Formats: sequence, structure tokens, C-alpha cells
Amino acid sequence: MKNTSVENITAGSSSLLLHIVLLGLFVVGMDSQSIPKPIAQHEQVEIVQATMMDENNVLQEMVRQQEVEDKKRNEEQARQDKVDQRLEETQNELARKELEFQDQQERAKIEQQQRETKAKQEQEKIAKLEQARKQEEIKQEQAVAERKIAEEKRTKADQERKVAEQKQKQAEQDRKKQEDLKQKAEQELKAAEKKKQTAEADRKAEEDKKAAQARKVKAEADKKAEADKKAAAAKKAETDKKAEEARKVEAERKAQVAEADRLLQDSLASEQQEQESKRIAGVVDQYSLMIKQRINRNWLRPSISESGLQSTLRVTLLPGGDVKQVTVVKSSGNAIFDRSAESAVYRAAPWPQPSDPKAAAALRDFQFIFKPE
Amino acid sequence: MTKRLLIALGIIVSALSWQANAELVIEITGGSEAALPIALVPFGSEGSVSPVDLSEVIRNDLAGSGRFAPLPQQDLISQPHKQAEVNFADWRLLRSEGLVIGNVTSIDGQTYDVQFQLFDVYKGQQLVGKRYQVPASGLRRLAHQISDQIYHALTGEVGVFATRLAFVTVITNADGSKRFALQVSDADGANPRTVLQSKEPIMSPNWSPDGERLSYVSFENGKTEVFVQEMTSGRRSSVASFKGINSAPSWSPDGKKLALTLSKGGNPEIYVLNLASGDLARVTHNSQSIDTEAVWLPNSNSLLFTSDRGGRPQIYKVSSDGGNASRVTFEGNYNSSPDVSPDGRYLAMVHGVGGKYFIAVQDLASGAVQVLTETGRDESPSFAPNSSMILYATERNGKGVLAAVSVDGRIQQRLGEAGIDVREPAWSPIRK
Repeated sequence: MKNTSVENITAGSSSLLLHIVLLGLFVVGMDSQSIPKPIAQHEQVEIVQATMMDENNVLQEMVRQQEVEDKKRNEEQARQDKVDQRLEETQNELARKELEFQDQQERAKIEQQQRETKAKQEQEKIAKLEQARKQEEIKQEQAVAERKIAEEKRTKADQERKVAEQKQKQAEQDRKKQEDLKQKAEQELKAAEKKKQTAEADRKAEEDKKAAQARKVKAEADKKAEADKKAAAAKKAETDKKAEEARKVEAERKAQVAEADRLLQDSLASEQQEQESKRIAGVVDQYSLMIKQRINRNWLRPSISESGLQSTLRVTLLPGGDVKQVTVVKSSGNAIFDRSAESAVYRAAPWPQPSDPKAAAALRDFQFIFKPE
Repeated sequence: MTKRLLIALGIIVSALSWQANAELVIEITGGSEAALPIALVPFGSEGSVSPVDLSEVIRNDLAGSGRFAPLPQQDLISQPHKQAEVNFADWRLLRSEGLVIGNVTSIDGQTYDVQFQLFDVYKGQQLVGKRYQVPASGLRRLAHQISDQIYHALTGEVGVFATRLAFVTVITNADGSKRFALQVSDADGANPRTVLQSKEPIMSPNWSPDGERLSYVSFENGKTEVFVQEMTSGRRSSVASFKGINSAPSWSPDGKKLALTLSKGGNPEIYVLNLASGDLARVTHNSQSIDTEAVWLPNSNSLLFTSDRGGRPQIYKVSSDGGNASRVTFEGNYNSSPDVSPDGRYLAMVHGVGGKYFIAVQDLASGAVQVLTETGRDESPSFAPNSSMILYATERNGKGVLAAVSVDGRIQQRLGEAGIDVREPAWSPIRK
């Protein structure tokens, strides 16, 4: 652009001499007809003298260059696409294998746990059975005791009944005897009028005495029966109370066992849930990385000299990996930069999605922070 | 048992919190600055056919910038010309960042009604939509302006497709004589127009900040002489024809002054010429060395220039009012032909290594230097007005050709190659 040539400068001050010589040559070489003609450059009157350049050739050459470059770019793009595709396939394959491996480990772990749990439950069961058997024994003992009491009661009742019967018999005999006596006395009354009244009185006194005695015996028997009954009831209440207490203790023990069981089950379930969470988190991590790489590949950042640009986007995905919504949560302040981030999110669609529905569900809502470095 | 219970509770609580906090946070760092895919649907046409294929010009502009990768025509799913005909889901499948549709209608065979729309394919939103009426002669420039709009909307940078390039061509005749021409073309190298012809060398074209004038050095009068020529009228005047060398003109940012290299005092030194008054002020005073190729720093009263005062050519900085110069380049033992990016961040220069010359940029703030080119015969770097690219001259098959490189070296472009020697390019400012 500048007329002091490169050679002049390299040669340092000696170039000045050369320059002057050159100037001399130009002076010699000049002829009077070389005075140039400036050409008016009206916008309307476009080209004045296109004597030097074949515009057609220029354009053809440009077109040819463009085609060669386009072809190159296309091939490069195709190659890049292939590489991308292969990369993605390899990643997918790796992810799938990793998942399989994890699944196997997971299964083995769970089986081992199930075996342990089963063994534990078996022991628990045996212990429970033993407990139940002991309980049964206690019950049987109690039953035997109760039976004995009941038998005793029955025997006693029988005896009492027999005594009562004998008494009744006695009373009957007594009554017969007295009737006989009465008849005899009436006969005697008939026979001896006079003696009758005194005999009657005697007899009556005798009779009263006997009746009182009978009444007395009966009252005593009744009283005894009542006392027996009372004693039996008290005994029964005692036994009932003891049984109730035993039942209570048993129920409490059972409740405790049940509670322990429930807690054990809960903790086992929690452990399983934790394992499941861990597994899902692993898959989510893996796919997050794949998504990150995919978006990174698709991010065509504008070449902006401004440094420290950073955009934060919120992205919601549709099942299947297509973008549902993109929102700029925090703008970089540069609309072009923000848009390049949004476009990267769209361009990366459809995003890789895990087949596991739980992991896929965890990969629906994202926040992306885009920054050049 | 209590302990176990607590553990179980803890697990439940943590599982719950994991459920509640289901939004995954992922950090995306890196990305790439690869070209943006864009779908350019050939514009619809009504009435007499446009003499310029606008969509083709736009396609070439965007592809040539290196920032866009237009989808191949055969990949275009459909050919909508109106928004109602656009099915965004289709275009999303093509992973294209933007979609451009348009229509050209001839009104009376002379004037054309052109409309275009740029859509964000993913959001299904219009980013730009414009309508113009232009004469047939304005169609190509309009296409470049549409490219600028698309470029700006999608990259955030100002587009420079509607700017111009100035350069010098050399034709060697059968008898060995040479013909020189100062030419101006579109930014894509197309549509070259000659603004000056001479049998003697023409050098160092430099655009005024308003893009209305060119200054240059011509040998037409048998010696170096600096001219200023108006682009529309073609009127020109000699502004420096002192004894000795008159070279390397550079417009000040306000367009009122020219920095020049003059050897009227015996040794090439930097001067500043006030164009209105004709006043000339000497800036450098170093009779032991050559000081040349001054350029102005944007929004500043300072100049960068090349000097061999340290033994080897390096770039120095000096106030345009004079005073002490300070050295700017330290990497390597040859740095010359400075140009400063309009945003003031970078210095472009010719960087010599072992007899080969490359275009390099130096970050003016950090001093870091990056070599951008590979051919080894590169010269005359000139920044694009959006500071993104550097135009330069290089050699291919023994002939001078124009090329451009992005400031980061990632995008390399070749411009107009027609077997003609091309050299000394200068990128115009953006037309207001």
C-alpha cells in the first residue's frame, strides 16, 4: 500500500541511493504521451474502461473456486457427520453396555441381599415358631389346670348334690315316719280321748323340734353350698385374671415382634430404594454428559471479542428428546451470543434419551450455562 | 433400632430432596466458531427478470466471509417466497440457523421492487424484513446491502459487503511496456471500474474517511507525486510534488490532513499536510534513518510509521505534532507497512522472517503477535472497516493477487484472480 518498497527498507539507508536510481529510471522511461487521464466515476455511469480486466473470467473463476470450496466443505461436513454419528453410536453402545453391566451387578447385589434377607427371615420364623410352641405349652398347662379346677368343681358339686339328695331322702323318710306317727296318734286319739291333748302337745313339740332341726340342717347345707360357690367364683376370677395377664403379655410381645419386623422391612425397602436412586443417578449422569457433548458440538458461537459472556437457559424436553421450551433465564447481554446458545439447544435435538423411564423422567428439565471458556 | 430408623428417615428425606431438585444444571463451555448454516432460497421473480441474481450475490457474499455456510441449493426443502409459505419445522430439520426468502418485481422494466426477510428458524421469528425500490443499475449494490443486513443480524458485526476495494493493476504488453491502472471494485472483487490509467507506476491508494476521495502516488510526471482524486467527478489535484520522494499518503481520521513521506530535506521523513491551507509540518527528525509509511491511530492525534532507526525496520509511534517516537514492535527483526484496525485494537503489518514476508497482527494492548498468512510474499495489509478482515497483496504464479484473512487467521479468502497483476489494495470505509 505504501510506495517505499520492502527492499528499500531492508537495505537500510543504502536503499535511498537505489531509490534515487529507480526514480532516475522512471524519469528516463517517461514519455510525453504517458500523462494519464482521470476518469469520472459517476455512480450512474458505471464502468468507464474495463480494458484491463476480463470480468467474465473473474466471475467464472470465482464461481469455480466457490464450487471447489463448497464441495470441499460438503465433503468435510459429510465426513464430520459420519464421525459424529460414529462417536454417538459408540457412546450409545458404551452407555448400553455400561447399563447392562450395572444391571448385572445390581441384580447380583439384589439377589445376594434377597438371600441374606431370606436367611434372616428364616431364622426369625424359627424363633417365632419356637416362641409359639412355648406359648402353646403354657396354654396347654393352663388348660390342664383349668380342667382340673373344673373337675374338682364338678366332683364337689356332685358330692353336694348327693348330700342334698340323701338329706331329701332322709327328710322324706322322716316325713313318712311322722305321717305314720300321726296316723298312730290319730288312732290313739280315737282310742284315748283324754290322753289325746297332752299326747298331741307332746307330739307337736316333738314335731316342731324336729322341723327346726331339719330347717337348721338345711340352712347349714345352703350356707355351705353358698360359701363353696363363692369360693369357686373367687378362684375362677383369679384364674381369669391370670389368663388375661398372660394374654396381655403375649399381645405385647407379639406387637413388639411385629414392630421389629416392620422396621426391618422398612429399612430393607429404603436400602433398595437407595440402590435404585443410585442406579438412576448413574444413568442420568451418563446421559447428562452425552447431552453436554452433543450441545457443545452444536454450539456455533459467534466470534465476539467481548470476554466473560455467559447465558443461562432453562430448557424443557418432550418425551422423545425434542425441545419443548427454551427460556433465557439470565442473558449474557449480547443478543447474538444468547441466540447462539438457544440455537445449539435446538440443533442438538432430538437429544439422547435413556430407555429407563425413571432416568428419562429425570432428564426433562435442564438449566444450561453457556460460556466460551 | 433408633439408629436404623433415623437412617431410613434420612434416605427418604434425601430421596425427596432429589425429587424436588429435578432440574439438572449443565455447563456448556467451548462450542466452536464454525460457519453458521443458513438457508438462502432463490428470490422469486415477477415481471421482467432481474439482470442481477440477487440471491446468488448474497450467497457468494455470505459464503465468502467464512462466517456462513449456505446450504446447497439441492438441499432446500421448498422454495417459499412469502412468509405464509414457510414451514419452520422443515427448515429446523436442516439445522439451518437462518432462512432468507425474497422477491424481485420489475415495475416498469427500469425499476425493481425488492423485498426480503430473514427468519430465526428455531424460534420461527422474523429477524429482518425490508423492501426497496432501485434502478437496475443499483441491484448488485442492493444485494450487497442485503448481505450486510443478514451478516449484522446473525453475527452482531457490521457487514462490509457493500464497501469497495481500490487497487492497482499492471498489464505487460507484448513489447514489454507496462500499463498501470487504479481500479475500484465491489468488496467481493466483482464489478471493477478503472479510475486512472497510466504508462507509469501508480502506488499507495488510500481512501478518505468519507469514502469520497482517493489519495495515491503517481509517477506520471517522471517523479513521485501525491494526488487526491474525487470519486464521483473524477476531478483530481496534485497535493505534494516536492523535490525528492513524495509518497505514502494517509488520511487523518477527520479527513482534513494527509500524513506523507517526503525527502525534500534530504532524508525521508514523516510530514503532515493540511489539505485546506497547504501548511506542511514535519513530524520526524532523524537524518540517520528512513521514516515512512505513516498511518493514523483512530480517534487519536498519533501516527504509527516504519523506521530503520534501530538498524532494522520496526514500527514506531509518534504524535502528529512531532516529539519523541516510541517503538511499538519488538517481535522479529523486520516489521513494516503498518495499518491499524478501525476499532483501534490491532496493528497489521508485514512481518519478515528469514527473507519471507507474512501478514501479522499485533494486539496493541497486550503486544501479542500472531502471524496470519503462509505464502511468504505478502504485503500491503489494509483493514476492513469492521476490523474483522485484512486485505493484502500476495503473489501466485508470479503474479500479484489480492487475498484477505480474518484477524484470527481462521478465514482465508482469495479475491478476483484473472491473470492480471494486482497489487497495493486498500479497503474503503463504509459508505454512509
